[in-house]
Amino acid sequence: MFFDLLPHLLNGLTLGLLFALVALGFMLIVGLMEQINLAHGSLFALGAYFALVIVGGENSFGHLLGPAWHSIPLGLRYTTALVVAPIAVAVVGMGVELLMRRTYGKDPLFGLLLTFGAAMVLEEAIRGLWGTRDYVLQTPSAVSGGFIFQDLIWSTYRFYAAGIAAAAIGLVWLLIEKTPYGAVIKAGAHDNEMVRALGINLSRLRLFVFAFGTLLAAIAGIILAPIWGIRPHMGVDAVVPAFLVIVLGGIGSFWGAVIAALLCGMLVGLAGAYASEWSLLSIYILLILVTTVRARGLFGKKSLLEA
Amino acid sequence: MTMALFEAHGLHMRFGRRVVLERVDLVVEEGMFAGIIGPNGAGKTTCFNVLTGRYRPSRGHISFAGEDITGLPPQKIVRKGIARSFQIMTLFDEYSARDNVVQALPEMRNMAWRVDHAVARDRFLDDAADEVLESVGLLARAHLPAKDLPYGERRALEIAVALAGRPRILFLDEPTSGLGTNGRVRLRELLERLKGKLTIVAIEHDLALLFALADRVSVIQWGQVIAEGTPDELKADPWVRNSNLGKLK
Amino acid sequence: MLPSPHASPRLVTPTIAIVLMLLVTVPFWIERIGLYPYIGVEILIWSIYALGFNLVLGYTGLPSFGHGAYFGVGAYAFGLAQFNLAPNLWLCLLAAVVAAALAGAFVSLFVSHRRGIYFALMTIAFGQVFWFISIKTHSVTGGEDGLLKIARLPVELGVAKFDLVSNLTFYYFVLASFALVLIGLWRLVNSPYGRVLQAIRQNETRVTFLGYSVWWLKASVFTLSAAISGFAGALFAMAQGSAFPDVMSLHHSGYIVMMTLVGGGLVSFWGPVLGVFAFLLTRDIIGAFTTAWMFWFGLFFVTMVLFKPEGLAGLIQDARAAISRRWPPAGAAVPVREPGE
Repeated sequence: MFFDLLPHLLNGLTLGLLFALVALGFMLIVGLMEQINLAHGSLFALGAYFALVIVGGENSFGHLLGPAWHSIPLGLRYTTALVVAPIAVAVVGMGVELLMRRTYGKDPLFGLLLTFGAAMVLEEAIRGLWGTRDYVLQTPSAVSGGFIFQDLIWSTYRFYAAGIAAAAIGLVWLLIEKTPYGAVIKAGAHDNEMVRALGINLSRLRLFVFAFGTLLAAIAGIILAPIWGIRPHMGVDAVVPAFLVIVLGGIGSFWGAVIAALLCGMLVGLAGAYASEWSLLSIYILLILVTTVRARGLFGKKSLLEA
Repeated sequence: MTMALFEAHGLHMRFGRRVVLERVDLVVEEGMFAGIIGPNGAGKTTCFNVLTGRYRPSRGHISFAGEDITGLPPQKIVRKGIARSFQIMTLFDEYSARDNVVQALPEMRNMAWRVDHAVARDRFLDDAADEVLESVGLLARAHLPAKDLPYGERRALEIAVALAGRPRILFLDEPTSGLGTNGRVRLRELLERLKGKLTIVAIEHDLALLFALADRVSVIQWGQVIAEGTPDELKADPWVRNSNLGKLK
Repeated sequence: MLPSPHASPRLVTPTIAIVLMLLVTVPFWIERIGLYPYIGVEILIWSIYALGFNLVLGYTGLPSFGHGAYFGVGAYAFGLAQFNLAPNLWLCLLAAVVAAALAGAFVSLFVSHRRGIYFALMTIAFGQVFWFISIKTHSVTGGEDGLLKIARLPVELGVAKFDLVSNLTFYYFVLASFALVLIGLWRLVNSPYGRVLQAIRQNETRVTFLGYSVWWLKASVFTLSAAISGFAGALFAMAQGSAFPDVMSLHHSGYIVMMTLVGGGLVSFWGPVLGVFAFLLTRDIIGAFTTAWMFWFGLFFVTMVLFKPEGLAGLIQDARAAISRRWPPAGAAVPVREPGE
């Protein structure tokens, strides 16, 4: 019985790693800005849609890139998408940060309304450009399909997805722990004034963190696209877990976020084993339960979101 | 033996693993002006938060007029006749000074669930509010939005709001904070007028002001009461004299 | 900045009377200005929804981003009551209001001790839960296909019976409902209850320290707001003849937030109504040129949040203040704040 759950646990692990990716980007932004970016989910979605355009396919503006592009092997197109789409999203992300500047220091309600508005505008843009139908992101055959091992069906894609997510998380860790940038971000996350006193350009730092955070979200969006499908409202299914992760793991803790994300992913994965239609719902129910029971992180310091 | 109006014994407060208050006792007789002093971060405001119900103490008891109020939430404590002002001001910035005070009147509070009574036409509320404003010298500014008042007047309004509840005991958290010389003089005059009519517990950094007004003062350092007594006694206390607090004439 | 405490708190202000009288005449001239009667129905239904919603957002300062759930519950409850209980108008409306109120009360248990971002995310999560349930419980709600063939039940008042099938009679029924909600809410916001809600918006801590039970106040306003939204939802179900899960989506919940803010719900009682006008007119006028009108409205919303969160009502207030300064009424001092109508 437990054995049958293994593929679901793998799904859960994969999902958890991807949640961690989104949550880390989200957390970096929250830590530095002390503002919640509700548009984070829309940028996650945008990553998937941009990838759709680059990889190509019917009715996805891929035709703009011309038949020459489409004759290039899928693997190459996919890899290009994986690199270029997140960068494009990072640019949009920087745009959102610039918009948000006016709301810093004001009643937090405005920041909330603004990012909510930005999320809606982005979703409307997506609907306007791509319509409301579901899209499928083609993936190279090397990472698609499945195989049978020990009498169970495994998805090749899940392994690949988990691998990429883990690698990306590793890079984030390297950046935060091992580079001077990371040290500055960590410092900035605790004390904007100190950062300024040290002569670091806070505006540029914010812009960079926003770009980086949304880049991570976009990568997660591209990786998750074949699992969840591409729909205009896919963003909220990413931003809610991200929020849940920082509620559980606190804002300042890298491992707190990763572990919390894995827990959430596992839960959704297991819910998928028993009632696959309702598995996404489990993340919302989990948020409600967790927020009701506790509002501080398990690992990190007191949440900046105290309300 | 008559019980003091307000008593706290053995207060102990912990946030997670951090202990912020330890074995804190406070006894305030009716009509007394009690002071609390101490360096920043010593736990004075936390003490107030515990005494006024914002935090539940990990250990210890608090009683008011003979009734145990330990662990009661702030709204219940306030209704028993305890009021407080805040160091970081908590006014209703969009409301006028008068409406700030109106909101604090017990009559208004008793009507909190009425959905059919036009507040703006209630002369009684306005008149009662004006009386309080006059007592702190703000009557002329009654119609102005709180956010448009200069700092010193906002401080006075903060106290007016606390007074409007007609409390028996008033907790003031650094009432002179940010005030210039004139402001301090006016505040001192106000507190002298209130003294005796109302029991007051005040946290202050302005020692000259506090020592002139207070009947008894407690010194809090590292979450503990390290000295307690009349101002004269404390001026002679070696610890107080050796600390930064001892710079008094 | 909400209705100046010195605004007249009469039961029916001149503004309310004028607006209602104007609305009574609408069916006679609506087509002459190039619109159509049904838009009157839509504007009024959404206005009821928005006015109810604004109790939570504009008055109490709580960002509810999942209010579509209660509108939807009202719509479904109306339909289900009609099919499963009895096709009686009053019964079904009551069912809708009660169902929505119960949903709101349930959610309020979880959100009332919060504000800000936690409040917002919780309401989003609950909104998603309701939306999910309405899509997945196919046997009850019809799932994505929706609940269809919801009839406009006739108004039976003992002696008289009014059929609501025609858009004209239905319009007057909705107008009567709107008038009731409008006047009721006007009384409410000028009452002590309305005042303390605004105080909560400005400084929740202070309100607690004045002896008020803030939790109960927030829970009650959320429930009331849900009930009004549910009422609007029921009217909507009658108007469209159906109920779809769509209205519970985050997307739709976002519409009401945007409308309310753009209109000036943060500073004015009438703000939400102005917002509804702006929204529906944008839909019909800009929508004639592009299907992406919603994108432009969203952009308008973002611009407002950035530069004029007081919305359209705020702009009107500024204009009145400017006019007042240029031409002060004889013998009167320039008012410190404008009556917020």
